[in-house]
Amino acid sequence: MNVAATTDDTAEQTDTPASPPERPRGTGPIATAVSLFGELLITAGLILGLFVVYSLWWTNVVADRTADKQADKVRNNWSKDKDTGPGALDTKDGIGFLHVPAMKNGEVLVEKGTGTDVLNDGVAGYYTDPVKAVLPTTGKTGNFTLAAHRDGHGAKFHNIDKLRKGDPIVFETKDKWYVYKVYDILPETSKYNVKTLAQIPVESGKKKAGHYITLTTCTPVYTSRYRYVVWGELVRVDKVDSARTPPKELR
Amino acid sequence: MYGWIWRHLPGNAWVKALISLVLALAVVYILFQYVFPWAEPLLPFNDVTVDNQ
Repeated sequence: MNVAATTDDTAEQTDTPASPPERPRGTGPIATAVSLFGELLITAGLILGLFVVYSLWWTNVVADRTADKQADKVRNNWSKDKDTGPGALDTKDGIGFLHVPAMKNGEVLVEKGTGTDVLNDGVAGYYTDPVKAVLPTTGKTGNFTLAAHRDGHGAKFHNIDKLRKGDPIVFETKDKWYVYKVYDILPETSKYNVKTLAQIPVESGKKKAGHYITLTTCTPVYTSRYRYVVWGELVRVDKVDSARTPPKELR
Repeated sequence: MYGWIWRHLPGNAWVKALISLVLALAVVYILFQYVFPWAEPLLPFNDVTVDNQ
């Protein structure tokens, strides 16, 4: 073994001076700089590629994991205080679940706020700023405004463009199913268009106060240039039965 | 740069390759865990809300 290694080494050493294209320290400073620059460019390219992988895949993995954990917690809390009746609404862990069959993504936990700290956990958030959402649980007329990521971080509203007029949006709370129906879609609007969040969304053609729901996310996919808005109106409210049988829209 | 690192790694080619792999994985880990989460909010790819800002 040793002998073989030594012979190998000596063979290499004797080879080195014989082959001129090999360049140990004899490289000029310009060549070194150019090759360093090239390597830095390759590195930058790799990092950008990794960033795409991170944004479109890894953030989903992490967010779905967190969202599942939080959803379990909410469900646990619900089943635990079954007999206490509807008490004070606990908004810290999440207020309920959004079911949009057209988006084919199961249930989406809804939490308070639309900051990245909330939305990056793979949940939908209801607006507290600039216009406060009116929660359906309050029973008051107003607009239940929600936002979620289109890509990355769970991408909960990725398929928002699959929603058509007449499609159901169901919001599930501890003891009610709120069934909404989509009545208007705004496929592209400015990100400054806060009017879409108004308690009476005039832009969708509504003039009277009612129970509305508004979903917002970014569009086109993989960018944040514009906002995509979907409006729905409350059709009916079902009571949750002991088996949590979903309303017929979800069956 | 990479040539310099390769020359300064100990051991034979296999050991060097192994160490390189570990180094590369460590770099990816640092990027995913610390650098990208920091950089992401600074880039305009993931704003989903309408607001006044």
